[in-house]
Parts: sequence; C-alpha cells; structure tokens
Amino acid sequence: MAEKVKFNIAKETAWCPGCGNYGILRALARALENLGLRPQEVLFVSGIGQAGKTPHYISGNVLNTLHGRTLPTATGAKIANNELTVIAIGGDGDGYAEGGNHFIHAVRKNVDLTYIVHDNRVFGLTKGQASPSSDLGMITGTTPHGVYNEPFNPLAVAISLNGAFVARAFAGDQEHLQLILQEAITHPGFALIDVLQPCVTFNRVNTYQWYKSRIYDINQDPEYDPSNQKMAWERSWEWGERIPIGVFYRVKRPTLLEHIPALRSGPLVKQPMNSNIDEVLAQFK
Amino acid sequence: MQAFNILIGGEAGQGLVSIGNILIKAIAKTGWHLFAIQDYESRIRGGHNFIRIRVANKPVFCGERAIDLLVALDDVSLSVHADELKEQAIVIYDPTLVEVPAAANYIGIKYAEVAANLGQPAIMANAAAAGAAWALLSDDLIAVETVLSEVFKNKGQDIVDGNIQCARAGFNIVRSRFNPQVQLEKPEQCESFMVIKGNEALPCGALAAGLKFMSAYPMTPSTGVTEFIALHSEQCGVVMEQAEDEIAAVNMVIGAAFCGVRAMTATSGGGFALMTEALGLAGSAEIPIVVIDAQRPGPSTGLPTRTEQGDLLFAVYGGSGDFPRAVLAPGDVEEAFYVMGTAFNLAEKYQMPVIVLSDQYLADSYQTVASLDPTKIKINRGDIVTETESTVDYLRYRFTESGISPRLYPGVGEGLVVSAGDEHDEAGHLIEDAHIRTKMMQKRMQKLNAAAAEALEPVIYGNTKPELMLIGWGSTKGVIREAVDLLSAQGCAAMAIHLPQVYPLSTKLREYWEMPSKKVIIENNYSGQLQKLLSMELSVTPDFWIRKYDGRPFFAQEIVDQLVGGEANGRKGEI
Repeated sequence: MAEKVKFNIAKETAWCPGCGNYGILRALARALENLGLRPQEVLFVSGIGQAGKTPHYISGNVLNTLHGRTLPTATGAKIANNELTVIAIGGDGDGYAEGGNHFIHAVRKNVDLTYIVHDNRVFGLTKGQASPSSDLGMITGTTPHGVYNEPFNPLAVAISLNGAFVARAFAGDQEHLQLILQEAITHPGFALIDVLQPCVTFNRVNTYQWYKSRIYDINQDPEYDPSNQKMAWERSWEWGERIPIGVFYRVKRPTLLEHIPALRSGPLVKQPMNSNIDEVLAQFK
Repeated sequence: MQAFNILIGGEAGQGLVSIGNILIKAIAKTGWHLFAIQDYESRIRGGHNFIRIRVANKPVFCGERAIDLLVALDDVSLSVHADELKEQAIVIYDPTLVEVPAAANYIGIKYAEVAANLGQPAIMANAAAAGAAWALLSDDLIAVETVLSEVFKNKGQDIVDGNIQCARAGFNIVRSRFNPQVQLEKPEQCESFMVIKGNEALPCGALAAGLKFMSAYPMTPSTGVTEFIALHSEQCGVVMEQAEDEIAAVNMVIGAAFCGVRAMTATSGGGFALMTEALGLAGSAEIPIVVIDAQRPGPSTGLPTRTEQGDLLFAVYGGSGDFPRAVLAPGDVEEAFYVMGTAFNLAEKYQMPVIVLSDQYLADSYQTVASLDPTKIKINRGDIVTETESTVDYLRYRFTESGISPRLYPGVGEGLVVSAGDEHDEAGHLIEDAHIRTKMMQKRMQKLNAAAAEALEPVIYGNTKPELMLIGWGSTKGVIREAVDLLSAQGCAAMAIHLPQVYPLSTKLREYWEMPSKKVIIENNYSGQLQKLLSMELSVTPDFWIRKYDGRPFFAQEIVDQLVGGEANGRKGEI
C-alpha cells in the first residue's frame, strides 16, 4: 500500500465542546488515511445543519449544498467523475426530514457513495427542535407536549429497499466507527452509516452515558448473519434497553454506475464532448 | 395555390399523430415548407385533439386558422372547426365514425375497411387516411411511400408494403371519386427540408453543445426533451438519469456540473418552482447549469398541455437573494437549436445558472428548416485551470477584476476545490464577516456586466423606418413576423422585434426603442411580463399591448385585427 497521506482536521470549528461530531470527524480522517486515499481523490458533499459543516473541517474537495439535498448532488458528482471517492455527510434533520425522499431513492438507485448521518435525534443548528428520529415523548421547542410522531427508522427503511450496505455506529466508539467507515467506503453501492451522536447541548436524553450502557456490537454475535435481509430488518427495530451497532445488512447488487452505458468508456468528465450529433440530426432529414 | 391548410382532428388514441407525422415528413421531403401545431388534451384516450398543418411553397412561420382540408376522425372535429372551414374547403371523413350531410366537397372513406379489404390490420387505416389526404396535395404518392418505408423499416418489409398498399388505396379513392381541384404549386426548390419541433431542436442543440449529463422529472410539455436525450444517451455518450422529483433533478445537475461536465435539466413551471432554491445554490456556489423551462399556463397545475409565456418574470427574478443568471428565449426551431450553445457557454463563462424559456407552442410545433449545422455551435468553457498549472494553493473564489475565478474540477491536479452555498471566503469556507460578504456579492453580481455586453441582440424584421413596432419574445417570433407581413400588405410600415434573450437585455434594445414609432408589446400572458421587465430594466412603456392567455397560441390575423380594429393607442388589446 502507498504511503499514508494525512487528512488534516481543523483546529477550530463552530461545534460545541464535547459534540459527538468530533468523534465522527476523527474516525473519518483515520478511515480515509487507512484506505490509502489522498484528499485530492475525495469529495465530501454535505447539506445544512451542524453535520453539514463537517467537510470544511477536513482536507478534501468540498461541495456544501442546500439543506436536505446532499444525496442528489452527490449522485450527480459521482456520475460525472466516478474516480472520486464521494462521501455524503448530513444529519437526521437534513437527511431524514428535508431530504427524506432523496434518501429513499438513493438507496433504490444504489449509487456508489458513502452516506454518513450524524444522528443526534434533534435539530442542533436551529437550537433543539424535534427531528424525525427524536424519541417519543421528547419535549422540545416545537413539541412542548412531547414528540408524538413515530420515530423514523433509517435502518429499517434502507434494509427494506435492499440497501447495499446498512450500518449503525456510535460517535463515542471511534475505533469501531472507523472500521465500519472503511468497510462502507470500499463496499460497492450505496452505504448508509447512521451514527448515534450525542448532542451535548440540546439532547439531554440520548447522552454518551445513555448510549454506552446500551450499545452492543451485533457482529460479535455468532448467530447474526448480515446477509440475511429478514434478520437485519427485525434487528433494526431493537431499541431501548439494548441498542445494536455494527453492520446490519450487506449485499452485492449492481450499482447505478454499472447500469449506465456512457460510463463504460471511463469517467464522464474525461470523455470527449463530441457526441455523434450528425447521426442524431439525420433522422430529421 | 401557394398555401394549403390541413387540420386533422379526432380523439386521443385514434391515430391522428401517426397520420400527421406521415404527412409532415412527406411534405418536408417534397420540398414544401410547413408549420404544424399540435393541440392536445391532458388525457390518453378520448377528448378532442388536432394537428394543424400549414403547407406552402414559401417559408411559413406560424399556423393559420382557415382550413382548406379537414381530416375528421370524429364528429367533434366537424362541429368544433366548422367556422374555420374556407368556402371551398374539403372534408375527408370516415362514415363509420362521423355523420355528415351529403355534399360535393365531403369525401367519405372507411379507412378500416380499406385496410381489411387488403387483408391488412386495422392499425394501417392510418396510412390509408394519410394517402387520402395526400391526394389533395399531389398527383403522386412517392413522398408518402418513402416516408412509410423509413418509418416502418425496422418492422419488416411486410409491414412497409402493407402500409404502402393502404396509403395507395386511400389515395386512389380520393382521386377516383373526386377530381381534386386543389393542388399546391410545386415548391420553388425541390430539395427536401429537415422537419423538426422545439422539443427535438433543443436537445439536439444541447448535444451539439457538449451536454454530458441530464437529470429530469417528467412534466408536460418538457418531457420530450428528456426522452430525446435518454433515447440518444448511449449513442452520444451522455447520461440521462430520471430523478425522484425536480429538486433532485436540478441538484444532480449541480453535482455533475461542479465536477466539470456540461449538465442540464428540463421542466415546466411547477417543476421550475421546485428548482428555484437550487438556482440560488448555483448562483452562490458559481456552478454552471442550464435549465429548460417549457412553459405551460399556470398557476399551479394550470393547463398541462397548453401554451403560455407566463414564467418570464419568475425565470428572471425567482429565487431568494440576488444572484447572476441569464434567461434565453428561442423563437423558432432554428434558434432553439443554436441557443443551447449560447446557454452552455454563458453558464460556464460566467459560472451561473442559465434558463432557456420554451413553451408548449415551440416544444410541439413542427417547422421545416434547410439545415441545422452543429459546427456553428462553438464551445467556450470559460476560464479553466488546466492540469499542468500549479494548483496547490487553489482558491475557488479568488477575487479577480472580472469577478470570474478560474474553475478547477475536483480530482484534477493537486488543488482542492471547496464550494459552498453558504456565504464563503475565497477558499470556499464559510464566513460571517461583513467585509468579505460585501466583496463576494459584488464579485458575483459584477459578472452580469460582461454577460450583458455579449447578450444576444434583438432580431428585427420588416420596415427599418417603421411607424409601428411589434415587440415580442420567445415563441411569438414567427407569428409576429407574419403579422408584420399582413400589415405591410395593408400599407403599414411595420417592424418586428424579437428578443431571443430576455435577461440580461442587450443594450441594442434601447437603440431600437428610441426610434420614433408606436410600440406594441405582444405576449402570451395575462399581466404583460415583458412589459413589466422593460419598465423595470429600461424604464420604458409601450403605446399599447396585445395579450392572450387562453392557453392557445396567437394567429397572425388575430394580432392584425387587434391593431387595425383598435381605436385608440393605450387601449388594452385582449383577444
């Protein structure tokens, strides 16, 4: 393997001290270094939210887009230049609320990118409103009587749609997260890593301690088979006293790029702009 | 006879599109000029649809209401268009479908029976109908036979022969039962023309301009563009990815354009509304994208299959905050083809979104043209950092005199490309600083100055010392031109001004406006959006205006009637 190139991390950020985002940022840099990638080969695409700032704090190419629009933008970028390693980064508000439709269809399309969701179960940037993944009963600025909408289960959704790689990790366990990220980035197709991320300012329920006393690694369970869609779906509903993390589901199926005839002759951006237009125009003569 | 107007009417699903297409192609092959309007309802079966084909031995630029030949596939076609029939008009109808009074100029043909008698399937009734109509245009069937051979060649020789037999039978019935008085004069030159509609010319232009990526969500009347690119994607090395919604479509386009390929989307008003947030992203992050908006009458779902020019101000000003953009408005199929080159060049040169305003009338109307020359579309990708230059300290938004910062594609060279829709510094990272914010706004908006200096000039036609100036934009180009001809024939010194670019406006427009003549603005919308735009951008007001917003295109005669019948200037001329 080539010599490791460092992915520098910003010393100053706009995040609160103790934020779960730091753990994700460090694990991501380590994972990319371990895979032997260079910042020039990586494109980070993000939306808006505290998680959306992440690309600005790590060396690489960056496209920081609109709230919720991370996945279609990342899809277009990957189609245009499939030599880039495309990492899409967002939060639960960005990806599961504003971008919910795109999430469903990105899983279906199976575009070859890695989607990291900083899931802190609350809106951080707008100061603590309920998000799609907030637990029932949680009291926030917009839910003074407690959250009553059924929490969104991104893992169950992705597994139901035969998502190529579906995992959950914990921002407080960087080593595990880093390994999951490495596997996700190398897995062909769409990879979702929902990262349990404590929000030290606005979420007083799902804290580091709360998670630490509950999480366990499903991949340590010899009975668990991540190629079994039904088993994965069932396990994705476990939440409460025990919370599973690890690779829930993994399947090899053709990626979006493999379906596109024009990409057989290399990255789109490197192809000539000549387009056989004379042949096309001939039909009108 | 120099011109001949055909109307084919019937229910959706009765085959009128097939009949129309055969005739349209055969007319162009013969070397006649044509303009054909498609009028259809938002349904797959039933209703009343029609195609109006104007054939002439000189160039024609719009349709005409008066009918010489009506091909009626149902009763409604007769009742709806009764007042459009010329005195000597001929009606070809199918007695099994239509009841008509016996009259010398009514020819009944049982198309299905014609096909059945020849042992051919009922679907070939369409060829019989086309052959019958053709008998009134020409005394030989060669062009129709050629078209049928081309259209059906992939289905085998039996199908080709069957269709030709049916066409010949239809042709012979008309010629034996009725000695056609009507025969259009042979074309001035017998070279065959290209025949193409807006929804084909636009994507062809995009391909000639180096399009590599398209994403869209189907929406009438833009869907033809999307399907055309999808159909030719493999042949042309282009990607067309259908999106889950218009928001995804335009954001995919932004992602692809950021990575260095020419990318576009196509939609109609409602879809364009969903895209406006992303237009702002393209403006702020300085990413070159092209958006085709094939307008249909709004608001909301409006009239999905009809035409209007109601999105002009929305295209020019829609979005949060100020950002640079250009808005183009091709007026015919030729402009539609070439304007796509301009659109991509402007987008990449000034690193901004460019909107191309089409509409259902342009999208679905067929026109003959001598040729479309892709070599006339010159690709200018703007200021690009090449692989050989040092890019280690690359700043995506470096301040420059022109406001244009050279682009680098991510993954090319050593430089890192950082782009953001949030306000950012030269490096592309997020800032809150008031001074940098001010400079960044000025940098972006300043690009419009140079873009305005190279804006497409108004296209003028008619008397260069006019007493009356007819001003329009987009798809009204042809009909206003013909209105000028009609006015000139009545002794009025009239000039047409067509604006192929509505934003930023060419400085040339003010020069024309300063000519001493009465000005009339003609628009297919309710509120006079060009009029408002000119009032805002140039502080000028026309003498009067003509507007139509019933979902249908103008006819030249309608415009003339409004002008000639109008008693006072300043009168609001609604048709």
